[in-house]
Amino acid sequence: MAVEAARSLPGVLKQLRTLLEPLRKEEPLPPQTAVGFFTDTSLCIGCKACEIACKQWNQLPAREPVWAGTSYDNTRELNAINWRHVLFIERLGRHEEGSHAGGGTAGTVAAPTELPFFNPDRWLMLSDVCKHCAHAPCLEACPTGAIIRTEFDTVYVQQDVCNGCGYCVVACPFGVIARDALGGTARKCTLCYDRLKDGLEPACAKVCPTDSIVFGPVDQLRQQAEARLTQLHERGLREARLYGADDTILEGGLHAFFLLLDEPAVYNLPERPSRPSRHVLPASFWTALAALALGLFGIFSFRRR
Amino acid sequence: MQPERQSFSAWLATGQALAQRLRQISRATGWMDLLAVLSTGYHPDPEREQQEPTYYDYPALKEPVWRWEIVWYFFLGGLAAGCYFIASLAALFGGPEDRATRRAGYYLSLLALLPCPLLLIKDLGRPERFLNMLRMFKVRSPMSMGVWCLVSFSFFSGLSALIQAARDHWLGHWWGAHWLARLPQRLLALPGMALALFLGGYTGVLLATTSIPLWSRSKMLGAVFISSAISTSSALITFVLRLSAAPAAALHKLERLEWGALLSEQLALLAFLRGSGRAARVLVGHGPAEHGPRFWRFVAIGGLLLPWLLQTRLLLSRRTHSEADTDGMASQRPEQKRVSLSSLWLSLLVLIGGYFLRRTIIEAGHHSSRDARTTLWHARAAR
Ligand code: SF4
Ligand code: SF4
Repeated sequence: MAVEAARSLPGVLKQLRTLLEPLRKEEPLPPQTAVGFFTDTSLCIGCKACEIACKQWNQLPAREPVWAGTSYDNTRELNAINWRHVLFIERLGRHEEGSHAGGGTAGTVAAPTELPFFNPDRWLMLSDVCKHCAHAPCLEACPTGAIIRTEFDTVYVQQDVCNGCGYCVVACPFGVIARDALGGTARKCTLCYDRLKDGLEPACAKVCPTDSIVFGPVDQLRQQAEARLTQLHERGLREARLYGADDTILEGGLHAFFLLLDEPAVYNLPERPSRPSRHVLPASFWTALAALALGLFGIFSFRRR
Repeated sequence: MQPERQSFSAWLATGQALAQRLRQISRATGWMDLLAVLSTGYHPDPEREQQEPTYYDYPALKEPVWRWEIVWYFFLGGLAAGCYFIASLAALFGGPEDRATRRAGYYLSLLALLPCPLLLIKDLGRPERFLNMLRMFKVRSPMSMGVWCLVSFSFFSGLSALIQAARDHWLGHWWGAHWLARLPQRLLALPGMALALFLGGYTGVLLATTSIPLWSRSKMLGAVFISSAISTSSALITFVLRLSAAPAAALHKLERLEWGALLSEQLALLAFLRGSGRAARVLVGHGPAEHGPRFWRFVAIGGLLLPWLLQTRLLLSRRTHSEADTDGMASQRPEQKRVSLSSLWLSLLVLIGGYFLRRTIIEAGHHSSRDARTTLWHARAAR
């Protein structure tokens, strides 16, 4: 008996410590330069190497293949096990229609030489990923503090803290983060936090054969994006635009931003999403107003016979 | 006995006729379309919507993971908050005739509160980690604030109910019970009431602080939920008091409060629908992925407008009665019986409406997240 108790006491203590572990406040690590992605869709060839590299590096399970029936894109969405997703927008017939929303297609038809790989009037591709927002709604919503900003200024979900409440899932304006049915926690791109710690570039950027996905310090990437945009505009690709490279989206921009060849909605990207944490004040104001009115009415009801 | 049974069968017959008529009306969906357009101010234009670009209509947002547990939590949490609020009003401002209201309110508040933490824990992806919620105190995150509010409100609700039980001699006659009974229940009521109002309203603020178009476009959901918390709670307390033959004066006060809460709920709901415009279509329309049939039948008309109108009539007739005969005991007796049956129904309608309000808003939120066109419109159109 005594021996058993002696043996189990340290065990109990250890268990207690792991139980209390999430409560310990850790000193933040010294900040490094903010890094992110510049995804240039004019270079993407839709090879999906990034999807595969991400799955391999992060040991994410594969799903039973399902034919989407709409395009070559059978991944269809970012979710708890797809952290990169290559959109494949087929626009065969867009030429003939002419009257398509956005109208001015006829004037901006790209001659084959403008882009080396494809004609944006036929196909558009984009390798979608978590945007690592400068003011991340998922992080702002998280009640457990599982979602943190790392020393690289990226947004990271601590899997041992997340309890799967699902608030980040509805907070993200891009439909990125998802709750896993298997693990029960919220998961998304980590910007290869483990690789960054070892001074390696993220798996998807490393593997991208056309350098459509560029990894680097955010400031530098923004300059590079501007330069590329000017170049494309000079070549006559008027539709080209940057998405999330400046500070307008979510009041601070995105650390993973894009060069698009059409309006954001074509890629299912919200044009000017609102930042959910900005809703707290107005919503509370109206609630408090209603509560005040009801309180006064209640006092009145109970005082008068 | 005889006349009462007759009146009951007559009442049943009119009810059936009414249901028949309602079924006829509701089979034609034109009225719902009209209401949907009027309430949201949005004329659907399928052709133009079809022109808007999206990526194969794949959802642009993730679907919420919240299901029936959250619907029941919102409903019961609202009841717990509202009952506490009303009981405290009765304790602070009421007279001796309101003692029954206070008792019922404090007990019902605790009863409604008990399942809430269980529902919330069950809803988590990793229920065993529910305590991680208490690692943080985050003013920007309504869920974090809500958890803290729930924890502290439980203390007040539990203690107030205990004091009530001690005063009602349910806890026996030992020193602990005497000590409890002497605690200042009315002093507890002040902070408790503030927390109760927070608990009743934060759920709406929580939904508004997301990216789901239906929940977040207009910022009125909190006002809707707090009003509904109080209307459903006064309906519940009235229901219980009526069964236990409470004084008419106490019931009268509750009815008046319910009337006011129903009015404020209707106004808030209207402001919510107007402010949401196209985003609310999924709640009020009658398409395959839209929740209008349930919303209009059980919430807007059956759970709000109809009970409110009935309540108005009841209050008006009460007033003329009480003016006609001041003591009125003898003459009111037989009539009181009939009124009470219909007012039991009235309370039930309000309670059912409150439940379906939460349910349709949560379920329509799921559909709202799947609708890429409205999501992208929501992010494009000026707010
Ligand atoms: S894109 Fe979504 S998941 Fe990624 S940081 Fe922004 S809010 Fe969070
Ligand atoms: S950074 Fe890493 S985790 Fe994120 S998408 Fe790329 S490979 Fe996946």
